Amino acid sequence: MLEPRQVLTLQALVDTIIPEDDYPGGWESGLGDYLLGQLQSDLRDSLATYRDWLDALEIEADKVFQHPFAGLDLASRTALLEAIEQGDIKSDWPVDQAGFFAQIVEHCTEGYYADPGNGANRDGAAWAMVGFEVTA
Amino acid sequence: MSQYDVIVVGSGAGGGVAAAVLAEAGKSVLLLERGRELSTEAIGRDHLRNQRVSLYGHNAGPDIDGNPRTSDDGRVIRPHERGYQNNAACLGSGTRVYAGQAWRFMPQDFRMASIYGVPEGSSLADWPISYDDLAPYYEKVEWELGVCGDDRTMYHLPKYNRPYPMPALPLPDKSRVHLKGLEALGWRGLRMPRLINSIPYNDRPACIYCQHCFGFACPNDSKNGSHNTTIPRALRSGNCELRSQVMARGLLTSEAGRIEGVIVIDAAGTEEVVTAEAVVLSCGAVESARLLLNSATRREPNGIGNNSDQVGRHLQGHYYPGASGLFPDDIYDGVGPGGSIATCDFNHDNGNVIGGGMLTDSDVCTPIVVWKSQYPPDAPRWGIKAKRFMRENFRRINDINGPVHEIPHPDGRVTINPRVRDRYGIAVAHLSGTTHPETVRTAAFIHERAKEWLRASGAIKVWGVEPVLYLSGGQHQAGTCRMGEDPATSVVDKWCRVHSQDNLFLADSSPHVTNGGFNPAETIMALAWRTAEKIVNSW
Repeated sequence: MLEPRQVLTLQALVDTIIPEDDYPGGWESGLGDYLLGQLQSDLRDSLATYRDWLDALEIEADKVFQHPFAGLDLASRTALLEAIEQGDIKSDWPVDQAGFFAQIVEHCTEGYYADPGNGANRDGAAWAMVGFEVTA
Repeated sequence: MSQYDVIVVGSGAGGGVAAAVLAEAGKSVLLLERGRELSTEAIGRDHLRNQRVSLYGHNAGPDIDGNPRTSDDGRVIRPHERGYQNNAACLGSGTRVYAGQAWRFMPQDFRMASIYGVPEGSSLADWPISYDDLAPYYEKVEWELGVCGDDRTMYHLPKYNRPYPMPALPLPDKSRVHLKGLEALGWRGLRMPRLINSIPYNDRPACIYCQHCFGFACPNDSKNGSHNTTIPRALRSGNCELRSQVMARGLLTSEAGRIEGVIVIDAAGTEEVVTAEAVVLSCGAVESARLLLNSATRREPNGIGNNSDQVGRHLQGHYYPGASGLFPDDIYDGVGPGGSIATCDFNHDNGNVIGGGMLTDSDVCTPIVVWKSQYPPDAPRWGIKAKRFMRENFRRINDINGPVHEIPHPDGRVTINPRVRDRYGIAVAHLSGTTHPETVRTAAFIHERAKEWLRASGAIKVWGVEPVLYLSGGQHQAGTCRMGEDPATSVVDKWCRVHSQDNLFLADSSPHVTNGGFNPAETIMALAWRTAEKIVNSW
């Protein structure tokens, strides 16, 4: 599974991909439990890449900000991920940094907008936000 | 003395009808289903694992482990993965989780080769039967299973002898918007017919317009499928025995190669021989072909019905071109099933493209469906901007799309792969080839019409994916046991009887010579009805 330090990085990452506003951010919506569950089941083949990618993200954050990713504010985390997405990287990434980031984004969004039975979208908050009402 | 008069293999749209017609006529019937008998609760509402969005699995089978298929690129494919061509495996099969679109094919759909000629390399052909042959059976399906609609709006078809037994479902807000678009363009529109109770019918209630129709089970049993119409009728007759979670591993034949029954294997792996006077295959276009190909005899060493190398060929489904539009105001009101207005102006007579297809507004989409398949390609995908985009626009996005009549290719096909086995040890289906490239041209034409309709309906931004060549099949799979007069170029005769056998019939989409520009369920049911009636009248 992920090391505790990698979980901290993941939490900050998830809350950058889906930040809190007047509706819950990714982590508060339950994405932590959801993703850790997926990485032991449907996404088990991606676990090793997740670990490598999260470690590489911390190295990149250290190079750019001399600070752990999880300790950066939202604006800095967002700027760093935008740079990573555009290939503007300062360290050696062991994986396709942008391609795998796009996959992580999809995994987060799947949990956030799926039914609460999947573990995230706690109390159907994401559905309330977009206006998807279940009448029967 | 056989154990049964008829064994029906598969309980989907065709198998359910066949079992009901045969059992009610006094035949003793064994109905086999490889999947489970699933409750509505068991099918559930998992937005990531259903028959519409199968990112990580299915809600109505088959199980993702133990049921692989293979493809030409060397992949061993699980049921929820790209290229598997899945159909549900449970009692009722796809009818348990479809959205019940109930279309008659058009008279022209049975005469594609005569109307358009045969494109080089394609296996486009006419059906050996006409619309008039099927019309009485379409009517039976509409009345016996229950279809809602408005026959007066079906401008693309010959006049109905009987109206639908139930009025069309009410129009959701977004369908009213699309109706205005049609009017602005001068295109004709019709009310979508559905195998759904719009009023109480057959002792079951009316639709309650939920948001989980397409891809899920009905919460109040108002959606009409095999599981709550034909199969209960078959069982009530006292002449039908149902066995689920039983796989047909091969056809039982005599020394001389005549069909005598089915070899089945249950969930515990126990094999059993069941005998019958006749066998009806209703396993879907991929699995019916696989069962025939896995049943070789000395007389038919390449599979039963396959001495002309036709079994498994001409696999087709539907390309589904369409487009998404962003509207300036909310057009979503959550009234399911959703798609209500269709045009058949582009099923035929489209200049230099062959055939065409029906276009309709889409069913209610879950948020993840919008995110995965209706999200503008240039909109932000993460961060606060993406969250805001979903929040502001989920209720403003809608699709127009529809099934395109495919131009079949003989190399788009199902064979068997003895090197890969399923959980029962049976050689799996191998999928190869594509449909004919003419299909892409037709799909591109329909794609443009979808964009036009959205703009005319007031969309301020329109986008969609250009069609590309691939092998389709999926829930609309068809064509692998083609119907025809000539045994050299077809598998079954015009009664869906395998040419080389006097007691083996197909009652699913595999006899479809071409698959229309419409969802095929009602055609499968009508054809199965006609075939079952023929069996009854034959002996």
